[in-house]
Amino acid sequence: MNYEWDFGAVWAHRDMLLAGAFGTLKIAAVAILMGVVIGAVLAIMRLSKRRWLELPAIWFTEFYRNTPPLIHFFWAFYGLPVLIGVSLDPYVAAIIALSTQSGAFYAEVIRGGVVSVERGQWEGARAIGMKPAQVVRRVILPQAAQRMLPPFLERSFELIKTTALASTLAYSDLMYQAMQVNSITFRPLEVYTFVAGIFFASLLFLSVLAHLLERRLSRFTFLPAS
Amino acid sequence: MDFTWDFSSVVQNYPVLLKGLGMTALLWGVAFPASMLIGFAISLGARSRFGALRALTRVYVEVFRNTPVIIQLIWFFYAFPILTGYQFSPVTAALCGLILNASAYCSEIFRGGMASIPNGQWEGARAVGMSHAQALRRIIVPQVLARMLPAFTNRGIELAKNTSIASVIAVQELMYQGRALSSAYYHPLETLTTVAVIYFVLIYPGAFWASRFEKRFALRA
Repeated sequence: MNYEWDFGAVWAHRDMLLAGAFGTLKIAAVAILMGVVIGAVLAIMRLSKRRWLELPAIWFTEFYRNTPPLIHFFWAFYGLPVLIGVSLDPYVAAIIALSTQSGAFYAEVIRGGVVSVERGQWEGARAIGMKPAQVVRRVILPQAAQRMLPPFLERSFELIKTTALASTLAYSDLMYQAMQVNSITFRPLEVYTFVAGIFFASLLFLSVLAHLLERRLSRFTFLPAS
Repeated sequence: MDFTWDFSSVVQNYPVLLKGLGMTALLWGVAFPASMLIGFAISLGARSRFGALRALTRVYVEVFRNTPVIIQLIWFFYAFPILTGYQFSPVTAALCGLILNASAYCSEIFRGGMASIPNGQWEGARAVGMSHAQALRRIIVPQVLARMLPAFTNRGIELAKNTSIASVIAVQELMYQGRALSSAYYHPLETLTTVAVIYFVLIYPGAFWASRFEKRFALRA
């Protein structure tokens, strides 16, 4: 147990790790945006009463929610190119994997939020003469959005953690860069502890921020008093 | 898109996948009960009278919940030996990472479950003359268990998904075997699709059951 910790090796390769951090941020941001779009489309398909729209959306979300994230990465990188005849670089494959799997989860978040608004809200808004589009914009979405926020943020933090799997496709995210630094310096303890610390600090910071945001929003509530 | 699916290499080598499936089952079968036990112990720590112990369990839970699983596994495989001078086998390292990760989540489930029981249940049980242990066994635990079942099923599902990450440190479970097969026969699409379907078949019944149970419970509550 008399190991001498030496973070000098980590500090010496800070530019590599910084590039990795940017790589992680980049795929996380793009995947969250695309995931929300995919999730919204899936949610609308599921909310429509048409069976031929509903069923594919159900299959898609159930499949992605009940298979390991890692296989989505390998499938997008090694499997999908065979199917479409175009080879994908690790960045694109990682984005596809992350945004489809998070889309499946976001779809449930969005659908749950919309379903949670009671029927009476619809009927009331229609009764005072609003058009369906107006009802959605002015009555349903403000209420649904507030209920969606906590699970949406939770899911996004999950996504940020999952980005570390992109390292298995040799995409240069923080995790992959850490592996590179480790193979140069042979200092796995410092390098991996440092990277774990970075993830821990950023995610803790984000969840504190999310908590504050939720508290602040709850002050001017759109939700009917129960 | 004129791709013809060829599953022959997968079908002929099914024992390879079967072996991987066995390892996946082993990882899950050991890690799930172990993380429930450790999670329970941690949840007791979180309710302790001693502030230091409470703070310690909090740190434990937050560390394992706020770092990616892949780092935890790699840390136990590559970094831990340097700290202690003891090299884990891939399977042991994977189990360490998986158990510690899942136990952090399990402890939160126990904590939430215990906190969800109103004080009146305790008081009522004591009022009709039950001892503390009797109240716990007959009144509190049955209610807590029913409430926690869906959450534990979901945790089991997450754990089953996380076992696939053990392939990164060369544990020969389903994911690893699938990748080996796909690079040996150059049929990545068929092989990886098969592996994905196997995972789905394993995991979906649990998810289906959990959502059914959750709905039933929501109706009763």
